[in-house]
Amino acid sequence: MNKSASVVIIGGGISGNAIAYELAKRGQKDIVLLEKKFLTAGSTGRCGAGIRMQWGTKLNCIMSKYSVERYEHLNEELDYEHDIEFKQGGYLMCAATSKEMEQFALNVKLQNSLGIPSRMITPQEALEIIPYINTDYMIGGAFCQKDGHLNPFHTTQAFANAAQRLGVCIEKFTTVTGIDVDNGKVIGVQTDKGYIATNVVVDCAGGYSQYIAKMAGIDLPLYSQRHQILVTEPVEPLQGPMFMGFAHNIYCQQSPHGSFIMGRGDDEEPKDGRITSGWTFLEEMAKNCVKLLPLLKDLTVVRQWSGLYNMSPDKQPIYGHAPNVEGFYMASGFSGHGFMFGPVTGVVMAEMILGLSPTVDASQLCFDRFEKGQLFIEPSVV
Amino acid sequence: MRIEQHPILTFPAGKMVKFTFDGKELYGKEGEPIVAALHANGIKVIGHSHNKHRPRGLYCAIGNCSSCLATVNGEPNVRTCITPLCEGMVVTMQNGKGVIK
Repeated sequence: MNKSASVVIIGGGISGNAIAYELAKRGQKDIVLLEKKFLTAGSTGRCGAGIRMQWGTKLNCIMSKYSVERYEHLNEELDYEHDIEFKQGGYLMCAATSKEMEQFALNVKLQNSLGIPSRMITPQEALEIIPYINTDYMIGGAFCQKDGHLNPFHTTQAFANAAQRLGVCIEKFTTVTGIDVDNGKVIGVQTDKGYIATNVVVDCAGGYSQYIAKMAGIDLPLYSQRHQILVTEPVEPLQGPMFMGFAHNIYCQQSPHGSFIMGRGDDEEPKDGRITSGWTFLEEMAKNCVKLLPLLKDLTVVRQWSGLYNMSPDKQPIYGHAPNVEGFYMASGFSGHGFMFGPVTGVVMAEMILGLSPTVDASQLCFDRFEKGQLFIEPSVV
Repeated sequence: MRIEQHPILTFPAGKMVKFTFDGKELYGKEGEPIVAALHANGIKVIGHSHNKHRPRGLYCAIGNCSSCLATVNGEPNVRTCITPLCEGMVVTMQNGKGVIK
């Protein structure tokens, strides 16, 4: 393993690999990416893999639009030999209350002003998109055809392959055990495979970000919460868009392979880092799904699993550097939407680390917003 | 083929019921696995694999392997090795991933 590096990236998910690629593309040499297990072993490989541009804040709309546009051409851009399986079947956001409808109307207005082709829909129009929605539980909604779903394993691998071709060294099954800081500056990373001297560390360890930061003496205001998800047997293509409801607490989509992937949140979920899965989720998910999408009652569940949402106080990521430790950067606290922001994360962090002028100004998501009390409140987040 | 005698298990005589497979009228013992009734009628191919369309039929016989999936009374992906046969069942060969409607 390399004895020194200009940049050490910790975490082999979508964020780490996208940052590695964007840094290398901009000419940065001697980049090492460390991953405790295999690429996508953490939250990236466990996520629902949807991507939407239907957000309620200008910055999230801009960042997600940037990501969608990059994903549309990512196979070609990264010269990927397989397919990232980007399916733009849309997102159908189901409104259950008049309050949700009002919020969606505001969101759609904002989205349209930024060039996002979303629109409000009536329950009747929703039935034209997904004919088996139970509209008894829906007063309206919003739809954007350009939203969709992509394969997190292929997408991450595409970035990793491209990064490696540009000289990035990816070390899998390598655990970071410590970060050395001297005089307020990062000087090296300890791993179970040896020591790497470096002045720049990027923490994109997903559900383990706060523990990595702690190694450098930094307290991140983050916690990791379990979220569960399931997949069914494949059936022939049936559902175009992701069906999503905040009040109904559901997201449900059909992957290109034909299987349905669905999940829900639960405040009672443990926050101790465990990634087990249980009966309660299966029962609640099945009940909810059959109530809202009755036709899916005949699907057979083949597997369920869980992953960690790395939650920040305002459910928005931190793109930034630590104020008191020079050379420590973080792309953390994605709160459940790190995968869909992958491309923008790569660009924002690479430009920040290299001191280039930003393509997308994400300075509102800096680390000290919590101290200053400038939380970034997004109305449309799970 | 139907096992009549076995050193451990016994097979009580059951009521013979009518069912169909791909429109063909067949008879099987009520309550036996659908796939057993099909085998007794000489039918071993119940579906085809998704990608290479190779023949598929009884394999694990305990509901795990997905090899014997068929459409039963309109419901796709039914495990015929663990689903008891009933009078009047409409069983169809499932080619592809199954359709729910």
